[in-house]
Amino acid sequence: MHCIKQIYQIALRECGIIFHNPIYLTCMVFFPVIVTLFFTSLMNQGQPVEMPVGVVDLDNSHTTRQLVRTLDAFQTTRVVARYGSMTEARTAVQRNQIYAFLYIPQGTTAGLMNGTQPKISFYYSSTSLTAGALLYRDLKTISTLGSAAVGKNKLQAVGKTEREVRAALQPIVIDLHLINNPWGSYNLYLSNMLIPGCLMVFIFLITAYSLGTELKFGRNKAYMAMADRDIVVALCGKMLPQTLIFLIVVYGYMFYVFGVLNFPHPGGVVPVLLLGLLTVLAAQGFGIFIFGLIPSLRMSMSVCSLWAILSFSMVGTAFPVSAMSPALQLTANLFPLRHYYMVYQICIFNGFPLADAWLHLLGLVLFAALPLVVLKRLRMALLTYNYQS
Amino acid sequence: MLKRLLHKFFHFLRDMCHVWAREMRTTVKDEGLLIFFLLVPLAYPLLYSWIYNNEVVREVPVAVVDMSHNRSSREFCRLLDASPDTHVAYYCNNLAEARELVGRQEVRGVLYFPEKFQTQLYRGEQSHVGAYCDMSLILTYKAIYQAVQAVALQMNTDIRLEASTAVTTRDEQVSSRPLDFDEVPIFNTTGGYGNFILPAVLVLILQQTLLLAIGLSAGTAREQNRNRELVPVSRYHGGIFRIVLGKTFCYFMIHMVMAAYITLVVPRLFGFVSLVHAYDLAFFMLPFLLSCIFFGMTMSCLVRYRENVILLVVFTSVPLLFLSGVSWPQSNIPGAWQGVAWLFPSTFGVRGFVRMNSMEALLSDVRTEYVALWIQTIVYFLTTCLVYRRQMRLARRKAASDSQAA
Repeated sequence: MHCIKQIYQIALRECGIIFHNPIYLTCMVFFPVIVTLFFTSLMNQGQPVEMPVGVVDLDNSHTTRQLVRTLDAFQTTRVVARYGSMTEARTAVQRNQIYAFLYIPQGTTAGLMNGTQPKISFYYSSTSLTAGALLYRDLKTISTLGSAAVGKNKLQAVGKTEREVRAALQPIVIDLHLINNPWGSYNLYLSNMLIPGCLMVFIFLITAYSLGTELKFGRNKAYMAMADRDIVVALCGKMLPQTLIFLIVVYGYMFYVFGVLNFPHPGGVVPVLLLGLLTVLAAQGFGIFIFGLIPSLRMSMSVCSLWAILSFSMVGTAFPVSAMSPALQLTANLFPLRHYYMVYQICIFNGFPLADAWLHLLGLVLFAALPLVVLKRLRMALLTYNYQS
Repeated sequence: MLKRLLHKFFHFLRDMCHVWAREMRTTVKDEGLLIFFLLVPLAYPLLYSWIYNNEVVREVPVAVVDMSHNRSSREFCRLLDASPDTHVAYYCNNLAEARELVGRQEVRGVLYFPEKFQTQLYRGEQSHVGAYCDMSLILTYKAIYQAVQAVALQMNTDIRLEASTAVTTRDEQVSSRPLDFDEVPIFNTTGGYGNFILPAVLVLILQQTLLLAIGLSAGTAREQNRNRELVPVSRYHGGIFRIVLGKTFCYFMIHMVMAAYITLVVPRLFGFVSLVHAYDLAFFMLPFLLSCIFFGMTMSCLVRYRENVILLVVFTSVPLLFLSGVSWPQSNIPGAWQGVAWLFPSTFGVRGFVRMNSMEALLSDVRTEYVALWIQTIVYFLTTCLVYRRQMRLARRKAASDSQAA
């Protein structure tokens, strides 16, 4: 009973600190909201549409113009310019005016008529991988369609029906199913990693910051005295208000993306709630652990920030972990965000049972339990440390 | 007259060099600063290069559910297995079994051949193959999708050739593909992830470490000062320009070396694309570093305690990467965010450097970015001078009231 009262007292004190120093609420509430709105509104289109593409049409006949018009009609592509030569088009790519261009040499239509197999080319730049990949798809389709149109005319001329023509030109058809993200939306693919990643940055840093400032402002001894020098009570009291605020923020984010923006979550509510809780606890655990390991405000915060920024790569969302070198595949497990993403994609995004992600759930629990390892060290630091600037 | 001017100039130079030397000394002595001035710019690029060194995703595991069990479906699977991007890892009896494999992360996609697959082909009807892709990783989806499409295209051509009545091989070629085409990846020819993201990350590292280091050093200066002021009252700190320029020289000196290392050495160490011309790069980096420095110095006045800088700067790295228009195409960034992007040097720094490095653009091709960086340099230089002037007045007033009280 006594220790609950102590925890309550320390939590009240912590609330006072949080409301007194504006940096806390800025980093715990304001920035997370901004980041959430930023990423979801930036990629609101889902997939980039109407990306600028150029055309070098040296043939300039009815057939090639029709080809260009069809290309322009694609959702991803917009033909913004026509160039007189290859060099001009290439320079336009270098100047970032277009991402790709179609080159139609002189004599294309004539070649089609007399059956000498003319050749068109498409040039695409993968300097922006997203733009490159999507435009590659469109340009390849249009180039294949060029052949198909000729074949279709020929077959129709000998009296084949529409169905026969289709079967003759494309005997095998691929039915592509994009499971749970049929729009191929980058928003629900990337936002679900980037926003929690940023939230984790804040949790790491605020945890280390709140512990470190006790030392920095020389309040550590008074703080420990409130807990009767019991580090567990002291930590619980200090972390409790932060945990609650972060939980509200994380659940708020999850409500926004799954509830308001309707990102697919066939896994249901239970894994969402569980993952939210584990995320906050794991990130706080990591923050306390780092501070316990290096009980200095600036060093622990530096380590936390370096770790947090690396997580965005080691999470393996954009570039898969399986494609990294084996040493890095192991190292990836040391990043809480990696486990977050795995649980998210297995249990929430794809709706598989929690048991399929048990290793990653365990990983998050272990991160939450990490402070136990450094309790002694942390107690020593908080009891004896004197801050020298 | 001339003598007085010369004298003044000499004093200006002396004070500036004093501030410069003083800033250098604190930097070298402070381990917290050294992390962001030296360690991060030196080590982080190497780490990132290592992470993205494999560039592309190969041999993505796929499960096959073959209900038709015949020559055509087996040929399809063989071709798919042989393609560099995919690997047929499992054969399952039904879709439920394959789905379980996806759940256990054993495969990234499933290929489904219906019972009538070959029958329909031989009847001259269209035959459908189902491809189910796990969308939690876009690169594996892309690998599966492209490999499957390529295999289907090849088999379609073969089927059409079998049915064709052409006399010569050339006839067959022309009839199967009357309009030939070439696909040319003009820049980032490997289509690699490292070549795409690394140049942007490198430039961003330069900016973020500068902002962190400048902010931390300002915070330290404030904490060591008696009155928690940014500018100490001493005979060397008499004018705004000498303070601002003195500090700028210190930061510029260190980061010039770092910029050369990051933009020239790192890509070569790991064999990433580096088409940049030294002359253009030097001209481009000058305004970029200066605008970062002045931007950092303006921001540093907001910081009361040194550690707050970390809280303010670190999380911006990822949003800034997206604002630069590399991950998400620049043409598709909503207008309001385009405006926000213009505030940060990294936006133009990344855009310019990526094009110079990966597309061999010349300075004239990145003129917009180059001019924007110079405008930023001038604007942030002025704001720096303004905030420093305010800081100096505050410091003097406090010092005066202190001495009165004493």
